[in-house]
Amino acid sequence: MTTPILSNPTARAIFYQALTVLGVALLFWYTITNTVANMSQRGMSAGFDFLDVSAGFGIGFKLIDYREGDSYLRVFEVGIANTLLVAVIGIALATVIGLIVGLARLSGNWLIATLARWYIELLRNTPLLLQIIAWYFGVFNLLPRPRDSVNWGGLFFLNNRGFYLPSPEPGAQFGLTLIAFIAGIAAAFVVRAHARRRLVETGRMPRVLPAMIALVVVPTLLVFFATGQPLAWNVPMLRGFNFVGGVSVPPSFCALIIALSIYTSCFIAEIVRAGIQSVSHGQTEAARALGVKPSRTMRYIILPQAMRVIIPPLINQYLNLTKNSSLAIAIGFPDLVSVWMNTSLNQSGRAIPIVAMTMGFYCLVSLLTSLVMNSYNRRAMPSER
Amino acid sequence: MADALIFQPKAGKPAPASTLGVAGWVRGNLFSSLPNAILTLLGAYIAYAFLSAVIGWALIDAVWEAKNRRECLDLVGRAGACWPGVKAWIPNLIYGLYPKDQVWRINTGFLVLAVWAVPLFLPWVRSKVVIGLSMALLYPLLASYFFHGGERDLLWTVLIALGLAGFLASWVIAIGEWRGEVRLLEGRRRWVVGGGLYLLSLLLVSQWQLQEVQTRVWGGLFLTLVISGFGITFSLPAGILLALGRRSRMPLIAAVSTTFIELFRSVPLITVLFMFNTMLPLFLPAGVEVNRLLRAIVAVCLFSSAYMAEIVRGGLQAIPKGQYEAAAAVGLGFWQSTSLIILPQALRIAIPNIVGTFIGLFKDTTLVSIIGLFDLLSMARAVGEDTVWLGLFIEPFFFVTMLYFVFCFSMSQYSFNLEAKLGAGQRR
Repeated sequence: MTTPILSNPTARAIFYQALTVLGVALLFWYTITNTVANMSQRGMSAGFDFLDVSAGFGIGFKLIDYREGDSYLRVFEVGIANTLLVAVIGIALATVIGLIVGLARLSGNWLIATLARWYIELLRNTPLLLQIIAWYFGVFNLLPRPRDSVNWGGLFFLNNRGFYLPSPEPGAQFGLTLIAFIAGIAAAFVVRAHARRRLVETGRMPRVLPAMIALVVVPTLLVFFATGQPLAWNVPMLRGFNFVGGVSVPPSFCALIIALSIYTSCFIAEIVRAGIQSVSHGQTEAARALGVKPSRTMRYIILPQAMRVIIPPLINQYLNLTKNSSLAIAIGFPDLVSVWMNTSLNQSGRAIPIVAMTMGFYCLVSLLTSLVMNSYNRRAMPSER
Repeated sequence: MADALIFQPKAGKPAPASTLGVAGWVRGNLFSSLPNAILTLLGAYIAYAFLSAVIGWALIDAVWEAKNRRECLDLVGRAGACWPGVKAWIPNLIYGLYPKDQVWRINTGFLVLAVWAVPLFLPWVRSKVVIGLSMALLYPLLASYFFHGGERDLLWTVLIALGLAGFLASWVIAIGEWRGEVRLLEGRRRWVVGGGLYLLSLLLVSQWQLQEVQTRVWGGLFLTLVISGFGITFSLPAGILLALGRRSRMPLIAAVSTTFIELFRSVPLITVLFMFNTMLPLFLPAGVEVNRLLRAIVAVCLFSSAYMAEIVRGGLQAIPKGQYEAAAAVGLGFWQSTSLIILPQALRIAIPNIVGTFIGLFKDTTLVSIIGLFDLLSMARAVGEDTVWLGLFIEPFFFVTMLYFVFCFSMSQYSFNLEAKLGAGQRR
């Protein structure tokens, strides 16, 4: 007896898949024909030829060179550079704050643990966009005028135009100092590798930290002074109504970085807490029974095991921070979405290529992140029996 | 004979005074060592500085009665909050620019939702799943006419009547189960009762006409709730389907679901909102008008269903293979075993994360302010642009922040309790 075709699993699978593909294909066909018709009716074009055309608008903050006459492609690059800058600084700050708050949450001190808990609850239960706007309008907008800037040692200035800090101006021979610094670091690593070998052979770790620090600091300073201190600092100065010189960071950038890193730090803190709590208490007790010092227990026994639990969601939060940096548009910081998907799109009218390029960038970032994460996960997993 | 020498144990010594009572707790938890004591003092200073600044600004030095911002500034300057501005704007913060004489419709609409939800919390009601599902599926039909109103064609009338009939039927079921008259709800009678209720609603709805209120003037907390409500009701079923699709053994279905999920999860919500805002009119035939609100709702729904799919997939992965095999062994097909055996367990595991996604969705609705909708956040910003209250930014932001916090925090606490209640059988 053969099974009837209706209850044959293979036939049913083929049928359902054909149905799905047909549905998706119809949806695509419908959208594409409509889009083509609409675009020809409105005289729009979907090509990428506009990328070479001069964009003709200025960008307030840029990491890489950009002038008003530059092409749209350059605008795209400026946007990506700004987004990545926000992401990198935000991730570094969020990790530090999150680690501190996460450890505070586990503190045996009731007051510290309660404070950490309410910090987390308060900040992760309010919208990020609200926090960004509140930092911008509520804090950085209300700072004093440049004339009455908050002044830290005559080097750093904070006012409602932004944050001003000295910028380094390396001289001609500063490269030699850099080379000495890098060579020093390499030498320090060689010494450490030697110490590790001794540890394996004899069970004793030789004391090499002072030697390592000396190897990095002494040659660098020697070369620096021998070449005649080839590094000047450009200190910001009040000239008229504003500061000149140094590096200036606009208030929107400061507000964005602070809001992003504080918001993300709450999630990181919870991840750190969950990771440390996931290591069974028996591990701590076993370490203590073997006479391992508490500081070493944390470093060599708890943290390596907690890291397995912490790393994947942590990377996910880094990705979230990168995506959330697109909220910069609300306070006018020129990130990718703001300069590309908003200003350039409105000005050039090329909706389809611009949307595709923006989405392509974010997809690429998350694809790369998940690749890095997978390879790290494989290496970080301690071998289990 | 002398008294027998019997062993009389002495009473145990009390615990050292330093470990007892308030003093003992303070010693043990706050001042157990020098670094700990320093931390405690530092923490106490931070807590004091923060609380005294906030309470001083928001309550003690605040102005409660004033006609405009100038008056506030003359009274206390920037040292205290200027609440009259927020008070004057509260109707706008809640209802947006919805016509003031039509606001009763929003109130009634949400009241209907609350009344509809009451049977879900009554202990004697047993058909909670049916009532809950009918609410999720049919309430949007009723509510969209309630809030929007205006002319409607026959199809709309039929659908709105379905919403009203669902509301009536839920209460008929609830009352029937309370009175123990379940016979009315069994067999063929069920269809007669259902049909009767539907005809009644159709009659009511056909006589019913509301003034049109265009979505342009929707705003405030109302708009935030509408968008997140649509997002929540759409994303859970869509997420379940996508998760099942991604785990499917049919390669093409798995590929389509995976592509959808990964695409929407890897881009920020604001780019999805921008995309639908600029491209949805291009995707549809010329002449079809899609208003801004609908574009935002479509974007939010698709975006959140991709996230929900991953949450549900996490729950599905936690179900041991034996459950699938047992379901197959008793002869259940795919849909039966999924809906009766697998999903109830998977969703229970996933509840904390599902509620977490709902909270995220609720917070993310603030992004619609960037594409020009007047949600709660935009209304809060508008206060400071009102000529009477010019520059009043911090107070409305503070108020709105508290509002969001109350909503999100109570949602997360509710999920915490629900998790404890549903997990009762799992605990040993």
